[in-house]
Amino acid sequence: MTPRISARAWDALTSLKLTLVCLVLLMVLVVACTLAQVNLGVLPAVNAYIRSFLVWWRVPGWDVSIPVFPGGALVGLVLVVNLVAAQLRRLELSWRKAGLWVVHAGLILLFVGEFVTGVFQVETQLAIEEGQTRDYLESPREMELAIADVTDVRHDDVYGVPESLLASRKTIAVPGTPLTLHVKSFFQNAELAMTGGDARGSPVNMGVGISVEVRELRPVSGDNEIDRRAAYVEPVADGRSYGTWLVSNALGAPQSFIHEGHTWTLSMRPRREYLPYSLTLKDFRHDVYPGTDIPKNFSSLVQLVNPAEGEERDVLIYMNQPLRYGGKAFYQASFGKNDTLSVLQVVENPGWLLPYVSCVLVGAGLVLHFAFALVRSLTRRQAPLEAR
Amino acid sequence: MRRSTYRAIAVELLVVAIASMLFFASGCRREEVTHIRVKKALDATATSVLPGMGRGERHAPQARDGKSGLKWTLPKGWTDSAGSGMRFATLKPPVAGVDVSVIVLPGPAGGELANVNRWRGQIGLAPIDEAALAAARKSVKTKAGTVSIYDFSSEGQNKSRLIAGLAAVDGNTWFVKMLGDADAVGAARSDFTRLLQSLRRDAAN
Repeated sequence: MTPRISARAWDALTSLKLTLVCLVLLMVLVVACTLAQVNLGVLPAVNAYIRSFLVWWRVPGWDVSIPVFPGGALVGLVLVVNLVAAQLRRLELSWRKAGLWVVHAGLILLFVGEFVTGVFQVETQLAIEEGQTRDYLESPREMELAIADVTDVRHDDVYGVPESLLASRKTIAVPGTPLTLHVKSFFQNAELAMTGGDARGSPVNMGVGISVEVRELRPVSGDNEIDRRAAYVEPVADGRSYGTWLVSNALGAPQSFIHEGHTWTLSMRPRREYLPYSLTLKDFRHDVYPGTDIPKNFSSLVQLVNPAEGEERDVLIYMNQPLRYGGKAFYQASFGKNDTLSVLQVVENPGWLLPYVSCVLVGAGLVLHFAFALVRSLTRRQAPLEAR
Repeated sequence: MRRSTYRAIAVELLVVAIASMLFFASGCRREEVTHIRVKKALDATATSVLPGMGRGERHAPQARDGKSGLKWTLPKGWTDSAGSGMRFATLKPPVAGVDVSVIVLPGPAGGELANVNRWRGQIGLAPIDEAALAAARKSVKTKAGTVSIYDFSSEGQNKSRLIAGLAAVDGNTWFVKMLGDADAVGAARSDFTRLLQSLRRDAAN
């Protein structure tokens, strides 16, 4: 029994007017996002306008936000639905229209690819000095509270508490340990200043934070700036409190306490993703055009070692020639420390091929459609000539 | 198939696709505490006794305020290395499971009672008052001045022990602290005490 579909709703879903409205909305969103980057920075503006389903506006004087405009994700979704529905309604299923079917499939794939990128893409970075070996990546923006059991001389057991959990100010049980973390305060961005004695009004009674005053600031907006996250946390183990500590990525070395013979350290650091392989930077080169300071080339010669695969090889990473390995792409992004530090941007995007496939489909579809049209045109011309 | 059937199938597929997209968008990045076991990083700053110096002697660099630093004599089998951040130096006894640190801070650094209670809190002991502080203090006269020594053990099945020396030298406060498993700290206690007794001003500064 096929369900009955409202004819008017189907007309609206397949209408060209809906397509035009969506395109106009996308243009408005692009302009708004571009202007918002000035205050918010690139990534927050893209997340707020393009990769969200709704654009929210904080009501002045109230602690509430209301949706005021459809976001790029919602408009894109409606556009994909419109495109698919219109194609199913208007395009006849015949060889004559095969090219247009392929073109439409390519366009749909383009939108799907952007959706996949928006949802699944993860960007991290790898900062490595010459001679150093790294087996982990770091998030450029997200922090985590790393609680490590460093008792064993051979290894550390590291438990990462994402900043999103700290920000919710809940009690956080650390699985696999006797520890429970009580988060008393979390600061998205803060200024830390050493005082001469104990910091006034601070709940901290352990570690270096006793003499540190914390003042909350607005989150940074510049792309080259990083927030100083801070939090007051109280670890409790087997009913015993180990005091209240200040943790921040602005502090230096980890702070520690001992419970039942186990030494635990606390440190706020960029969120890490550990890899099953390692990279060693053998040489970083920064070439300039002779007689100028204009950069000509940046390249990093790295040694890739994957013990599980028995793999050990050298790879040269340079501009527009990333290392693609293990589902990730390592791009040469930046450098420092007198050309001894290389910063690689690492992108993991399962949908990275979709835009290329989409372009091929659109191109092939157009060629197919025009080929059919050409053949029909030639056939029509030939028929009258034969009739004579 | 009739046109309405195509339409129905198309709408059903669209609904499934939209529902899938919304599901993935909302739930795919659920945050949780992660765990990983990593090999210990090599201590790149580890150094042996500086060449040209007497065996077992350690020449401490100047304190941060430019005033005189401290020297100490390493017990046999001990090594030391420069610290990082707030840690001035790290000493390693030949006993595993023990951490020995040297920290210097300007001024009173919060005072003796606050620091002692911070050490006690580090091994899960309740804070004490001035009277208990005086009772717990043992004083040792050294060439750098009087060093106050405290010795605390934690509760619980696997006990930890902390022995620390605190000395005010030329406007700075020096903390020399040994912390670790109770048995291991006990084994290193006499060497640590001799190290504290060897503290003296750095003549070169």
